[in-house]
Amino acid sequence: MMVNEFYEAYRNRHKLAEGWKREGKKVFGYFCNYTPEELIYAAGIIPVRIRGSSENIELADAHLPTFCCSYMRSALDQALKGQYNYLDGAVFPKSCDMTRALYSIWKRDVKLPYYYFLPVPGKSTDAAVDYFIEELHLFKEALEKYTNKKISEQSLKQAIKLYNENRALAHELYNLGLRDNPPLSGSEAFAVLRAGLIMPKEEHNAMLRKLLAALSSVKGSPDGKVRLMIAGNTFETIELLQAVEESGGDVVVDDIDIGSRYYSAMVDENAEPLRALAERYLRKVLCPCKHPAEPRLYHMLELAKEYRVKGVILLTQKYCDTHLYDRPWLESSLKANGVPVLVVEHSDTGWAGGKFKTMAQAFIEMLE
Amino acid sequence: METKQDKPITPFKPARLAASAALGTLNEKYYRELANAKQEGRPVVWITSMTPIELVYAFDGIPFFPENYAALCSSRKIAEELCRAGEARGYSQDLCAYALCTFGVIFEKRGAFGDEGPPAPDILLATEGACATHPKWWEALQRHFKCPLIIIDAAYTVDSATLPEHQKAYYAAQVKEAAMSMAEATKKKFDTDKLREVVRLSDGVSELWDEIDAFRAAIPTPISQIDVFTCLFPMVTLKGTKDAVDFYKQLRDEVKERVNNKVGFVPNERFRLIWDLFPIYHNMRLLNYFAERGAAFVTDLYGNAFSGRLDASDPFGSLAKRYLSFFMRGASWGKAELYKQRARKYHVDGIVFHSNRCCRFSTAEQPDVGNILRDELGIPGLMFEANMVDPRGYDDTQVKAKIESFLEMLEARKYPKK
Repeated sequence: MMVNEFYEAYRNRHKLAEGWKREGKKVFGYFCNYTPEELIYAAGIIPVRIRGSSENIELADAHLPTFCCSYMRSALDQALKGQYNYLDGAVFPKSCDMTRALYSIWKRDVKLPYYYFLPVPGKSTDAAVDYFIEELHLFKEALEKYTNKKISEQSLKQAIKLYNENRALAHELYNLGLRDNPPLSGSEAFAVLRAGLIMPKEEHNAMLRKLLAALSSVKGSPDGKVRLMIAGNTFETIELLQAVEESGGDVVVDDIDIGSRYYSAMVDENAEPLRALAERYLRKVLCPCKHPAEPRLYHMLELAKEYRVKGVILLTQKYCDTHLYDRPWLESSLKANGVPVLVVEHSDTGWAGGKFKTMAQAFIEMLE
Repeated sequence: METKQDKPITPFKPARLAASAALGTLNEKYYRELANAKQEGRPVVWITSMTPIELVYAFDGIPFFPENYAALCSSRKIAEELCRAGEARGYSQDLCAYALCTFGVIFEKRGAFGDEGPPAPDILLATEGACATHPKWWEALQRHFKCPLIIIDAAYTVDSATLPEHQKAYYAAQVKEAAMSMAEATKKKFDTDKLREVVRLSDGVSELWDEIDAFRAAIPTPISQIDVFTCLFPMVTLKGTKDAVDFYKQLRDEVKERVNNKVGFVPNERFRLIWDLFPIYHNMRLLNYFAERGAAFVTDLYGNAFSGRLDASDPFGSLAKRYLSFFMRGASWGKAELYKQRARKYHVDGIVFHSNRCCRFSTAEQPDVGNILRDELGIPGLMFEANMVDPRGYDDTQVKAKIESFLEMLEARKYPKK
């Protein structure tokens, strides 16, 4: 099945990147969905999202306390084990306290040739946009200095266009979830989108086009699955979505940082590129590390309605401060609006699949 | 193997600072004024650390620091119950215990003095000047109190020594905007001259604090770490008032006199240590455990975090510079550099890291800071876990055993037996 290609790409992400390196290409790792990848791409560098895994932590504990999120611990562990040795550089945008701290920890302990820390404002006011444009100018200059080549307006516009195409294709994929019987399950759709984090956009676009064309005539069969939304932050364990499906549910839409919060919101192709980028990144659906928080709740309520979900799985990484502060409020607000919520605290390493499945089953039974 | 000290350990009774009486008076006065603020028509502003408190005094307001208050609850042994009350409302035990404890105070209406807690805020003022969790916590407070929330966005600085102009300008403009929002919320006129005066007083406090801090380099060191932590209250809460300046003058003079007379707070000072970073408010006596074994803390960067020089001729610009160049926002090597300078100047034998379980912000880089000090200066480090406010899960026996073996190791290094 075609979805397998997306699974495979993600599973082999380090090998893929090593292949590009052999072809003489440059590869930068980046954290978080506040890195304007378009600039890196326009500089002729392939941006890949730095991910963790569910493997046991072996080396990172000597550099990072165990009461930090498993995502950052695991990503650092992979890097210390040499799995990210192919990177020519890494970009850390200002989001949470962890990304801030991990910048200095990586820079000191993981020997990559290039590091950049990108300050990103915490607000989305006009003044914040103006300020961010200045930071983007500096980032652009730094990239030009690194590659010893100017980033032309044309190449930046091309990069923006390519990324917008990717977002538009992702949007089409999300639209499949609107159907009564989506042709892809939640875990399959997630696998398709997740692959986009680690491959060049033109390749992801080509694969997406092929998949969407193949799916256009496929009618999903009625399976009586309970429609759900997953919201919260990042996770590696796709088994989580599979467990939902085995329990009689299906995640048809998400509000997570590697899902719709990453793929939504276009960059204005008619505006001055850096301004357009600044506005897109500061005015998309905000992650909890940015302010204000309310628009995200309204967005979740809209998604719940639009996708006709019967409940929300609110997933938070253990030790993820910014999400944990919003959690009680999101839970009570969703419930007050008639949306049932299952609160899950998650850790990729040492994931308790059985425990999650029991919780998911009980939740889905309640909704049926 | 014989490394243990042969002498029996005598319980430590530190000499009381004369200034601590004045501190008690200031404390009382502050909480009285806070309780009467609403009657007196003074705005109550709940504020995070590393937020320009000077703005609050410029409006003749009363700043309230939930962090400071949670510390007080912890030392009065009610923090655990209050944290549990916060958890009962869905807040994770992993969150900052200052926040959890504050949630307990406001949800249970239970204060540190057997009262109903502090008066509700008229304004909530926060920045990310310290950590990214402050604005999140303040958003939660705003949902509870439904009063105006002002967030001053603090652009990140990697190297706090070189602050880019555009970051400073963005911050300074927001401080001005915050002043305008506060004027609107309090229906008071903003007075730049008043701000200048407050900034001048605030600078005076930092100048005095830096002097006191420098005296700690003396051998023997004149003031205990407990006194340093305790004496921080005016620095945190009253900075920008004449009371604070007067208090630190008195403290400076007292510390200076001790130095002149070569009076140390530990009778037999054998080791000189750095404390990193947060106090353990529910167990401040742990610091005496070091003192009883001849180990004195001679510097910490926690206190210094609250000190920052300002320039009354450029209030907004200097506030921006001061609050954005806060060293803890910088990278590990910048923090390590500060410790390296101090290690030489203060004749340091080792560093103790309080790995504060509820604070990612202050702990994530501690292992690297320790590694840098060990690799570059040969300074050994001790790290143990605790929670600054919440006593749950703290293992006193294990921590003390770690301290014992650390001090034995220092003993063997510094005073090898021939």
